[in-house]
Amino acid sequence: MDDLLAARLSMGFSLGFHIIFAAIGMTMPFLMSVAHYKYLKTKDEAYLKLTKMWMKGVAILFAVGAVSGTVLSFELGLLWPEFMKWAGPIIGMPFSWEGTAFFIEAVALGLFLYGWNRMNPWIHWMTGLIVGISGFASGIFVVAANAWMNAPQGFKVEQGQVVGIEPLTAMFNPAWFHQSLHMQVAALQAVGLAVAGVHAYLLLKKRNKSIHQKAFLIAMTMAASCSLIQPLVGHFSAQRVAVLQPVKLAAMEGHFETSSQAPLYIGGFPDEEKGEMVGAIPIPGLLSFLAFNDFEAEVKGLNDFPKENWPPVMVVHISFQIMVAIGTLLSLWALIYFFLLIFRKKYPPWFLKITVIFSPLGFIAIESGWITTEVGRQPWIIYEWMKAEEALTSVPGMTYHFYIFLVLYLFLAFMTAWLLKRLVTYYG
Amino acid sequence: MVDLYVNILIFFISASAILYVALGGADFGAGILEWIVPKELKEAQQNVINKAMGPVWEANHMWLIILVVILFMGFPKAFHVIVVSLHFPLVALLVGIVLRGCAFTFRHYDAVKDETSQKAYSFFFSLSSVWSSIWLGVIAASLTRGLLHAKGQDPYEIYLEPWFGLFPFLMGLFTLTIFTFLACSYLIGETRDERLKSYYQKLVPILNIGVVLLGGLVFLSSYLEPTQFMNSFFTSPFSLACLFLASVLFYFIWFYFKYFSFWMVRVVAAAQVSLILMGWFFVHWPNLIETKEGGLSFYEAAAPEPTLKQLVLALVIGSFFIFPSLFYLLNIFKSKQA
Repeated sequence: MDDLLAARLSMGFSLGFHIIFAAIGMTMPFLMSVAHYKYLKTKDEAYLKLTKMWMKGVAILFAVGAVSGTVLSFELGLLWPEFMKWAGPIIGMPFSWEGTAFFIEAVALGLFLYGWNRMNPWIHWMTGLIVGISGFASGIFVVAANAWMNAPQGFKVEQGQVVGIEPLTAMFNPAWFHQSLHMQVAALQAVGLAVAGVHAYLLLKKRNKSIHQKAFLIAMTMAASCSLIQPLVGHFSAQRVAVLQPVKLAAMEGHFETSSQAPLYIGGFPDEEKGEMVGAIPIPGLLSFLAFNDFEAEVKGLNDFPKENWPPVMVVHISFQIMVAIGTLLSLWALIYFFLLIFRKKYPPWFLKITVIFSPLGFIAIESGWITTEVGRQPWIIYEWMKAEEALTSVPGMTYHFYIFLVLYLFLAFMTAWLLKRLVTYYG
Repeated sequence: MVDLYVNILIFFISASAILYVALGGADFGAGILEWIVPKELKEAQQNVINKAMGPVWEANHMWLIILVVILFMGFPKAFHVIVVSLHFPLVALLVGIVLRGCAFTFRHYDAVKDETSQKAYSFFFSLSSVWSSIWLGVIAASLTRGLLHAKGQDPYEIYLEPWFGLFPFLMGLFTLTIFTFLACSYLIGETRDERLKSYYQKLVPILNIGVVLLGGLVFLSSYLEPTQFMNSFFTSPFSLACLFLASVLFYFIWFYFKYFSFWMVRVVAAAQVSLILMGWFFVHWPNLIETKEGGLSFYEAAAPEPTLKQLVLALVIGSFFIFPSLFYLLNIFKSKQA
């Protein structure tokens, strides 16, 4: 493994690990707040138990998220010092706001976790909500910084020097809105689904029905609502990518030849050598329509770009397909949920079983979505400005860096799963 | 305007560093104390640490993040040199920080409190507290010793030399002792267990002596260093004043100890450690770091003006949210009634 690959894998693995905890940290407090609100209003002890159960989960997952986030804030510099030297002054602003939001989140979490019976109950409730709001805001800021790497603006380069920096323009780059929106909805969707899955499992086991039914309803409503919105948000995001990063869109869709009436391929694999899709079902004109709302629109193919600037097409295409497939599946599942909720007013065991099986899908979609956007930007670290290899640290032995964090994070992932299992068994 | 922005940022860097050491440092110290406490006091101490640290450790930890963000956004040239030449100690520190935070939280929130896993969490909590404190000291020492180097190709020169040596190692031990001292001074006012209280009362003077002895050794070992840290220190009026005041505060610590005014012990201990930190931090003023090519000043390392302006804005506006909420947090959990 060379240093560049090792650094890439390190970064990818750290982000892939952190994103799960970040998603939970910024959305689960909302679920917790709903349950807590219900308790304060109804004084139903089941809601209190539920709030405390979720709170303990949040405490564990937030801690892992906070420390793995700290690693990332250093790792940007440790692995890509040239990038940070160049981009830090341009794109530091969202990070500084993220730091502020994260700080408030940490303070609010301390107040919420330990503030039972020490504060006015409604102020205490507010602190829980603030954990969610500030976490959500910090998520938006970080994604805005990432969006800048896809759609860089707010600076000029003169004689190799960065000049004319406009941090606000950089932060509100053309990709910030759709990326943030897509990610935040995904976080609500994935976390809601995973939580609903856990409670569906416990309902099937016939444990503490009164608690788990309430939990299932809260989590499912969040997950299912977002699952209906997400295909629209995803579609909007893809249209933005078509304009901002046509080469990424081409890789996502396995689209090699520039054409009008461009087909959308279902399934199949891209053959980079031959420059064609193998084993896919083409639907003529649909890609043109999806990308530009016009069946006749021209969609640029990979062959229009120099091959050294192609991302690894296979990885991008497959991860994109996985994300889209999951998104589609979940929107159908959400429709069934709302149908059952409105017309039947109960959930048959088969629906609970499906929800249990589906519970990791949201996170798998988040991971594949990030692989799509990050690998899809390669070989660039700053799109069309700086390649990843130019940003790499001169420090040798990146392979060791990768293995150290691989072992550490696998260990932590195992530990967290084990702790959550104990938590669920205990409260279940 | 650039100079004004830089000066404001220097204030925020100093404040974050002081708060990280004075608050976060004590959390590291708590982990170290767990290792050295006699068996019969273990449980009492663990309870008081959970109570004292639980609500605040994540907020305390945030100062480090603020520090990093100020560095990479406001002083990118310095950040670049630091992350390249201190790659190894930073990775070591991060591994420690991750394990420490997780072990502490897992211990508290594990739904089943069986002895084996509780012991394992405590072991990792203590081990990573010791480990991280030492590396923090090594990193701090390396910033001033003048061997940072981000340009060469020689692995030894960029990977090992900047931080490897007796001076950084002793600084690591010094940091470890200071953090333990801080934790002791804070926890003494938190506990209601008389045995634990008298144990801390015995420990604090020992740690005080440790701090002085190790501080002396740090100075002496700096003679082996290219930058003659000791000479710089003793020719800097600011650093000397800090050292003098920190020494005077020893008297106050013992005074307040004697009269059981544990709130004042905390305040004085925090002030003392902050003075030591500032004495060290500004020893090469106006340089932020010392590299092989010479010092890199705050003003040279600073980002362009529009960036500085936005960073200052974010920090000033952020302070209006952060400080009141932090004050509220401390008021709820650390007030005399709590």
